[in-house]
Amino acid sequence: MLNELRKIQKKHGYVSEDSIKKLSKKTGIPVSIIYGVTTFYAKLHTKPTGKYIIEICDSPSCYLNGSLDIIKYLERKLDIKSGQTTQDKKFSLFIDSCIGCCDEAPAMLINGKPYTKLTKEKIDKILKKCKS
Amino acid sequence: MQILRKTDQKAYAKAKKLGPKGVVKILKDKGLTGRGGASFPTGLKWEMVLKEKEKEKYIICNADEGEPGTFKDKFILVNNPELVIEGILIAAYTIKATRAYIYLRGEYEYLENKIRNVIKKVKAKTKSKANIELIVGQGAYICGDETAIIASIEGKRGQPRKKPPFPTVHGLYGKPTIINNLETFANVPLAILFDDWDSKLTLFSLSGDVTKPGVYELPVGTNLRKLVELGKPKHKVKAVYFGCFGGCMPYSNINLTNENVCGKDCMLGAHTIIVVDEKHSIVDMATNVAKFYEFESCGKCTPCREGTMRILNILENISLLEARKRDLETLQELAEVVKETSLCGLGQTATQHLLNALKFFRKEFEEKCR
Ligand code: SF4
Ligand code: FES
Repeated sequence: MLNELRKIQKKHGYVSEDSIKKLSKKTGIPVSIIYGVTTFYAKLHTKPTGKYIIEICDSPSCYLNGSLDIIKYLERKLDIKSGQTTQDKKFSLFIDSCIGCCDEAPAMLINGKPYTKLTKEKIDKILKKCKS
Repeated sequence: MQILRKTDQKAYAKAKKLGPKGVVKILKDKGLTGRGGASFPTGLKWEMVLKEKEKEKYIICNADEGEPGTFKDKFILVNNPELVIEGILIAAYTIKATRAYIYLRGEYEYLENKIRNVIKKVKAKTKSKANIELIVGQGAYICGDETAIIASIEGKRGQPRKKPPFPTVHGLYGKPTIINNLETFANVPLAILFDDWDSKLTLFSLSGDVTKPGVYELPVGTNLRKLVELGKPKHKVKAVYFGCFGGCMPYSNINLTNENVCGKDCMLGAHTIIVVDEKHSIVDMATNVAKFYEFESCGKCTPCREGTMRILNILENISLLEARKRDLETLQELAEVVKETSLCGLGQTATQHLLNALKFFRKEFEEKCR
């Protein structure tokens, strides 16, 4: 089931009520159970997300290497807080636990791809690339 | 590095010559132990599953490396993934399992295609018929717990259950299951094939306030100072954290063995070392780690769910210089209650860092209280 839900998340950017109902029909598993599973996992979203899902790490190794500044900068630039999506539906931002790039901290994932040793300049460049 | 040696899938061929009992024996003789933190003898675990009478048996490779500061499994997946797959196939051969699962953490999904290719390649070379399915986690730290992984693969909320029964008897879909950490599987072919394989060598993930963070392969029991100095810290080192769950202790001259570290109420776990230097405040570190637990508590039981939340509140107040000294007592009590009464390992260890910080670095907390 996890792989199924992941496919839906990938395709639509979130797991809608509709798709939960469809999956329930297909598998015979009750909607409430599928919903319960969906909300359990941080990477499965029940609300629409932006084109680019940014997951930025705020765990100790990144924290010690200045992740707070980077997160604040990112929030300011995108004008959203963690858990929100920009008005133009381009970016969703999530503060995440460790993403396993602690030796290249601070780090984040955009649509699953890692960006490491972040600086404000790097953030500028990355966002610019996403926007174009 | 030992972990980077290539076997060319010759260990699988040797395993087949040895037979299931021979594989168990060689793993026992060579002294391979689990690398996920519990250090359980791998040969013994496999033997327990081998002896079960059930026809259906499963294998799970725990690649859900979620402990903050840990990246050694990723290191293996990037640099020598063939070993992992060969190890899983040897396990499948040993207990006659036809299905194995790799539970890969969602944050590593960019490695998915690479792993799928390696599975194909190694299967072709060994001619193993066992199926290896890749399950990509969807972001839940708690799924590092073996019973939670099982629930997650079964399509449930990834919440842990009480043990016993242990997975070796009652695992995936109620069947006997071998569940091992990725680094353990990677060591299986090495232990089987090479006479000079050293059971003591293990991978340390070193990060935090060091200029040369990375994966270091050193013997268990290596001196903490020796390891940290390899990382070339810029400033004077004050403390180390063994991931989040392992707790923290003052930087000192100890050998990194479970016994030594436990004496300081820490846990070595997956050999994660996060270095903190004197420029950083332990109160801020405690707040950061508390935030992690508040976020990752799965919410099944009350002490952990509510306790981690209240602890975070108090710590944030301390950081904002808004707390009183007596709040430290409340903090201590809360931390103890969560530790004593939580259902699973996450809750039971969620406050160890704080208890240690309050013990070893109390002054830093007091200075911020009215
Ligand atoms: S201790 Fe925490 S993580 Fe473990 S079951 Fe209870 S609420 Fe969930
Ligand atoms: S602590 Fe940020 S990637 Fe591990």
